[in-house]
Amino acid sequence: MRNGVVLMDSGGRYIDSGVIQISLTNAIIIVAMIVVFALAILLPFPGRGRRGGRGGDS
Amino acid sequence: MTATTAARPVRRRSSGTPDSHGFPTRPYDLVKEFVVALVVVTILTVILAAAFSSPDEKAMTMSDWAAAAPNDVVATAAGELAGTTTSAGYGPPYNTAADGQMLGPLPLQKWGGVRIPVDSAQDLVVTPLSHVTGNPDLTAALATWTAASADQQTTWASAYSDALSKAPDGDPKQVATGDYGPVPTMSEAFLTLAGSGGLEGALSSSTTFYASDQTRPLLLLSDGSYLEDQARARHLGGDQWGMMNETGNYPGQPWMWLYTFWYQIPPFSTSDNADALVWGLMMLLTLLLVLVPFIPGLRSIPRWIPVHHLIWRDWYRDHPRRRA
Amino acid sequence: MTAASAGGEPTPAGSWTVRTRDRITRIVPPGQALPDRQPAYMSSWIYVFGILTVAALLVVVATGVLLAVGGVAWWHVSRTGHFVNSLHLWSVELFFAFMVIHLWGKFWMAAWRGNRALTWMTGVVAFLGSIGTAFTGYLSQSNFDSQWISTQAKDGLNAVGVGAYFNVLNPGQMLMWHITLLPLVLGAIVGLHLVLVRRHGIVPPIDAEGPDDVDLQEAGAL
Repeated sequence: MRNGVVLMDSGGRYIDSGVIQISLTNAIIIVAMIVVFALAILLPFPGRGRRGGRGGDS
Repeated sequence: MTATTAARPVRRRSSGTPDSHGFPTRPYDLVKEFVVALVVVTILTVILAAAFSSPDEKAMTMSDWAAAAPNDVVATAAGELAGTTTSAGYGPPYNTAADGQMLGPLPLQKWGGVRIPVDSAQDLVVTPLSHVTGNPDLTAALATWTAASADQQTTWASAYSDALSKAPDGDPKQVATGDYGPVPTMSEAFLTLAGSGGLEGALSSSTTFYASDQTRPLLLLSDGSYLEDQARARHLGGDQWGMMNETGNYPGQPWMWLYTFWYQIPPFSTSDNADALVWGLMMLLTLLLVLVPFIPGLRSIPRWIPVHHLIWRDWYRDHPRRRA
Repeated sequence: MTAASAGGEPTPAGSWTVRTRDRITRIVPPGQALPDRQPAYMSSWIYVFGILTVAALLVVVATGVLLAVGGVAWWHVSRTGHFVNSLHLWSVELFFAFMVIHLWGKFWMAAWRGNRALTWMTGVVAFLGSIGTAFTGYLSQSNFDSQWISTQAKDGLNAVGVGAYFNVLNPGQMLMWHITLLPLVLGAIVGLHLVLVRRHGIVPPIDAEGPDDVDLQEAGAL
C-alpha cells in the first residue's frame, strides 16, 4: 500500500545488543509508553482548586 | 452540594484502607471523560493507520515453494516417506511416534492425546499423489509403494533421503545411484504437483468441499526448510525474539517480550522441553501477577518505591500531616 | 418501589425482579455507577488510562466488525479493506499500550488495597484474555504471518496438551475464537472489572490509611 512505504522495507531494522534483539519499531513503542507513563505522572492534572464538596460521590 | 454537607460515615475496611466514598469530593464528569477518550483514540487510530498502514505479506503457496526451493520440496517429500520429518516424529496430537515434551514429571503433551491424527507419509504425500491422473510412471510407482512392506518402504525412502542430503545442493538430478524403489518417481511427481498449484487442494479439501482446516498443508510447509528460512530472514525465528516481531518494520506484539525472552537464554534455549518449560514458567509468573495483592513483599513494592508520592502529590500537599 | 403500588395488587415478597433489583443495588448503589463527583485525591493524568483502554477496546471491536463485513479475504484485495485492517492493527497497539500503562499506574498505586483484590485480578485476567484474543487474530489473517505464527505456536500449545483441542493450524477454528468466543469472554471480564471499579470507587492514597486518619476527621466522619 502506498502509505505503508515507511515501514515496508522487508528485512526490518533491528537493534542487536547481546542477548537482546528488538525491532526499532517495537523499541520506539516501548520507549513511547514509558515516556507517556512518566508524563502522566509528572504533568499537572487540571481541575485543582475547584474542589468544594464533601461526602459521597452522588 | 456544599462544603457543609456531611460525609457518609466512613466504614473502615479490614485491611485498614478507608472507604473511598467517605472522602471529600470534587466534580468530575465521567461521561465527558469517556467521550473525549473515544474521540482521541479514534483520531489517533486513523492518523496512525493512514501514516503507517499495516503488514500483509502474501501467504506462501506450495507453488511458490516449488519454484523457489524445488530441492527442499523433494527432500521434504522423501523425508515424509522415510518418517524423518518433524511431523512424522512429532507425537501427540498428530501421532504416536513420540511422547512429546514433559513439564517436569508431567507428560502434558501425551495426556492431550492423538486428537488430530496425521500419518505424514500417507496423508501429506501418498494420498495427494494418488489424486494425480495421466502419469503412468507415478501410477506404477504408487502401486509398487503400496504393495511393499513398511520396512521396505522405509529402507527405500531413508536411502533416498540420505542420498539427497549428500548430493550437491540436495539436487535430485545429482543423486548417487542406489536402490530407492519408487521414491524418486514419487518425490519428483510431488514437486510437479506442488508447482502446478494442485497440492493445497489435495491436502486440505480432498475429502471436503469446504476446507477450513489447514493442519496438513501447514505441517507439510513447516517440515520443509523454506518457510523457516523466509521467517528467519524477517527476524521471526524463535531464537530471534521472533514472537514479538512483525514482517518489515511494522509493530509486532511488544507485550510478548517476556514470553519470547525465555527462549533466548539457557536452560530454555538448549532444552528439548523448552516449550513446556517456558509455558510452565509463564503460567507461574502470571499466577504471581494475579495474586500480587496477597503476596507479602511483592505487594509492598509500591510502598518501598514511592511513585505514589508523585501520583497523589496534590493530596499530600494539602494533607501534610499524613506524611509524617 | 415496594409492595403496595398505587391502586393494585401488591408485589409478592418473593418477586425475582425485586430480588434481582435489590441485588444490583447492593453491588453498585445508585449514584455510584455514574457519579458526578470523585474523591479529591483523584488528581493525576494516570487515571485516564483506564477509560482510554476501554475506548481503544471499543475502536478495536468496531474496526473488527467493519472487517467482518467484507469477510476473511476482503482486506487482501481491497484498498478500503486494507485501510480498515490498518485501523484494526493500530487500535490494538493503542489498546495494549494504554492497558499496560494503566497496569503500571495501578501497580504503583497499590490499587488492590481496601477489598479491591478482585478488581486487580479481573484486570490481569482481562490483560491475558486480550493477549489470547490478539493471538487468534494473528492466526486469522490468512497471510505469511499466520502461516509462520501458527506453525511456531503449535509447538508451544502441543507441548502442554492444549493443542489437541485448540488447533492453531485450523484457521476456521481460530477465526471463530477470535471474533466470537474470546471477545464475548473478554467483554464479560471487562464488564465485571468496571462494575468492581464503580462498586469500590477509586483507591485512596497509600498514606491516607491508619486509625487516626486526619483526612477522615476533616471529612466529618470521626
